[in-house]
This record gives sequence, C-alpha cells and structure tokens, in this order.
Amino acid sequence: MKKFGRGLATIMFGFGYGEGFPDHSIASIEIKEDERIVIRTAAADVGQGVITTVIQIAAEILRINPNYFEVVQGDTHKTKNSGSTSATRQTYFTGNAVKKAAEDLLANLYHYGSLEFRSNHPEIAIEDGKIYMYDDPDDYISYWEMAERVRERGKKLEAEGSFFPVTYSPDQNGQADKVYVAYTFLSQVIDIEIDTDTGTIDLLDVYTAVDLGKAINPKNVEGQIEGGTVQGLGMGMMEDQVIRNGKTLNAGMTDYLVPTSVDIPKFKHYLVEEEDSEGPFGAKGVGEPTLIAAAPALANAVYDAIGVRFFDLPISPSKIKKALKEKEKEENS
Amino acid sequence: MQITFTVNGEERELEVTPYTRLLDLLREDLGLTGVKEGCGKGECGACTVIMNGELTASCLVPAPQADQAEILTVEGLGTRDDLHPIQESFVEAGAVQCGYCIPGMILAGKRLLDENPEPTEKEVRYGLSGNICRCTGYAKIIDAVMLAADKLAVEGSDSSD
Repeated sequence: MKKFGRGLATIMFGFGYGEGFPDHSIASIEIKEDERIVIRTAAADVGQGVITTVIQIAAEILRINPNYFEVVQGDTHKTKNSGSTSATRQTYFTGNAVKKAAEDLLANLYHYGSLEFRSNHPEIAIEDGKIYMYDDPDDYISYWEMAERVRERGKKLEAEGSFFPVTYSPDQNGQADKVYVAYTFLSQVIDIEIDTDTGTIDLLDVYTAVDLGKAINPKNVEGQIEGGTVQGLGMGMMEDQVIRNGKTLNAGMTDYLVPTSVDIPKFKHYLVEEEDSEGPFGAKGVGEPTLIAAAPALANAVYDAIGVRFFDLPISPSKIKKALKEKEKEENS
Repeated sequence: MQITFTVNGEERELEVTPYTRLLDLLREDLGLTGVKEGCGKGECGACTVIMNGELTASCLVPAPQADQAEILTVEGLGTRDDLHPIQESFVEAGAVQCGYCIPGMILAGKRLLDENPEPTEKEVRYGLSGNICRCTGYAKIIDAVMLAADKLAVEGSDSSD
C-alpha cells in the first residue's frame, strides 16, 4: 500500500567562521587599457559560482557590462587572502571585498574624471564604461582611455578592498553581541509516498523557502538549494557508511548509494529577499543551509505517513519494513 | 600492439599495451581531458564516451577493444565558440556546478536524444541515471536535456552532426 506523508523542518544557520576568528577577504580590481577589467581574488570557485557572483557585483558598481571582466583566481603571487571556500562565506566576505574595491575604483574614476575635465564630480557622469560631463555626453573618455591617462600619470587604475567584520566568542551561557556575521533561515516542506510492502520512499515534491537577504544570481541559488537538498535527502534515505575495524566496507558507488536522477523530487523555491544583513546588496550565504533541513523534514514526513519516529539515519527501506512489522505486532497484541 | 580507431571524426593509429585503459589512452595519449576519471570501476559515469553508438564507461575498456571503434568524446560535440545545442542547453539551464560529471552527462543526454528525440521527463531521468552528480541535485540537468530536445526539434537537424 502507498502512504502519503508531508513533513516540515526549519533551520537557522550562522555563516562565516564567526566566534572571534579573524575571518576576512581581500580583493582587487584593475581597469586595463586593453578593454579588460581584472578582478583578483583567491576565492575558490568549486562550482557554487562565486566568480560569476563577484563579476556581477563589480559590474553593477562600476556600471559596465559583465563581459569585460576576467578573474585571476587563487594564485599566491597575484592574489591576497580571500579565506577558504567553506562556512558559506564567499558571497558575503569576498562579495563585500570586491564591492568595496569596485566602490573605491568608481570613486577614482570620478577623481580622475574631474582632473581630466577640470570640473567637479557632480558635473560628471559615469555610465557604460564612459566618463563625460553631463552637458556634453559625446565628449567622453572611455574607461580604457582613462586607464592609459592614469598610467601616464605614473599610476594604475586599480583599487583594493577588504572586508574584515568583527565577531565575538560566545560566553559560557552562549551569549555574545555578535557570534556570526549574519544568519540564513530556511524552511522546507517535503511530500513523500511510502510503499509499505517494500519500505521504499518516493520523493514527490520539495518546497523550499529561504531567507537569503538578496539572490545575486537566482539560478545559482536554485542550484545550491537543489544540490544541498539532494545531499540531505541522500543522508536521510540511503547514504550509510559501514565501518568495521577501521575499514569502510562499502567504499564504492554500488554499495554506498547516493541519489541519482531517478530519485530526486520536484522542486519549488521561494527566495525571501529581506536584505537584513551587511552582505553585498544585502546578500547572505546560502550554501550549507540548503542541506540541513532535508533529513529532518523527511523524517517528519515519514512519521506523517506511517506514524513511526526514526532517530537514526538513513531511514532505509529495511528499517521502515522492520518498524512497520513491529508496529503491526504491537497493534495486534 | 597497434590499434586504429576514430576519435571525434579523426582516424588515429596508436601503440598501446593490452592493459592500457581506453580512459588513459584518451586522456594521456590524446589529451582529451573532457573524459574524467571518477570511480575507476564503471559506477559513476564520469568517464562516459560514446563508442560505436553506445554509452561506454571508458575506464572499463582495455584499449585493444577499441580497435576499429568509432568514439565520440565531449570534445567532438562542439567547441567553446560553437556549442552543440545540448551544451548550449546546459549553460542556459544553469545545469553545471563543479562540472566534473558534465561531459558524461552531456554524452548520456546526446545518446538518449539520438534514440528518443522527444523523451518524457521520466525517460530523461532514466537516461541519465547511470551518471552520478554530487553538486546539482540533477534537476537543472534534467531541465537541460528537455530543453535540448526542444532545440533539436526546432532545428529539425540530425543531432549526430
């Protein structure tokens, strides 16, 4: 028999290292004469999309098409510390460092613009890679030409930004002014169907609402939600590392099962943009929070479907069948 | 021993040992690094190539078995400036995160669409089920293959070109 169940879980996640750890990120941006804008950051993009994100941020501040950007990544000779890609921190930390560098660079475009046009910055317009006087848009200096003129002054058209927020260790009661830079909130509803003959769980729909401040790249955010949720559901349903005497007995994809394309549910996402943090454009980290609610929501859905509470993962078909048998026995006795 | 085979439309003649894996031949000897090694035992799909029209885990194929074979890797599908509609669809759907499984996914998608140009979502799921992805949660990869089916139908062209 198939039994339907629905479960909900809500989590909060303080991201960044927090707790007084000297967590920070440094980035720089340079406008080159050859029509390139180079961002230098050691932030590692492992697929989450921080490179796309920082280009979007810099392009927005510098008022120019993102196509002109390139990113020099993680090179100890060319980049400064951006901290690790962990703790759901890169969009917030490196995003802010890049934003600050871009703001500094924009201010310098105004500065050099006012020198070149011999005017005050309120008279100067900067748009689409061009610097000009409001009253004469046709007489403009491109960013690239400005880079050349700045070089002739013996300088570079570049800026560096760093982001170094202060956090505090909690006291013994767990209290402090600011333990983490900000918190991401996520609620997830999961609908399932359990086959009581086989004990298998069919994942139907997953509804995710995440308060992430601002989705700088909504498609990337959806990718994070889907990937994180499927990892969490894998943990909840099938992933079981069996260790005996220090050896993993199922170190392979045929006996350590992870979800495949046939296992996944249908997704619906709700991105709640509250902009309540000091992140770039209000953005908060969204990576790890996407994994956490899945297994508890699933466990609640299982309870809703068959009335059995499970307290260890994964909730495998054999555990479900065993629990159903015990339940039947209890009810008959 | 000497073998002759066609890779991405180009005939190659190579000296191989009987225990060279096709995977290593493609990556090390021919520099086709779009072929990825994941598990090395035919379980994950990262090393997928299309060999004589069939999806094949290149880590399980001794090179001599590739003699006279016709092989397609992701490099033979499209170039950076001239993407195949399936590759284009992966970009547009946001289907790529770390990218390690993607060459295999794209070839699995192509094999599926060659055989079944108008698949249902369920058929796409089954068609991709031999390829494991840890980042994306698959949803956007499935979307991408569905999108590619639409694109190829509109183009009305043979997807094997």
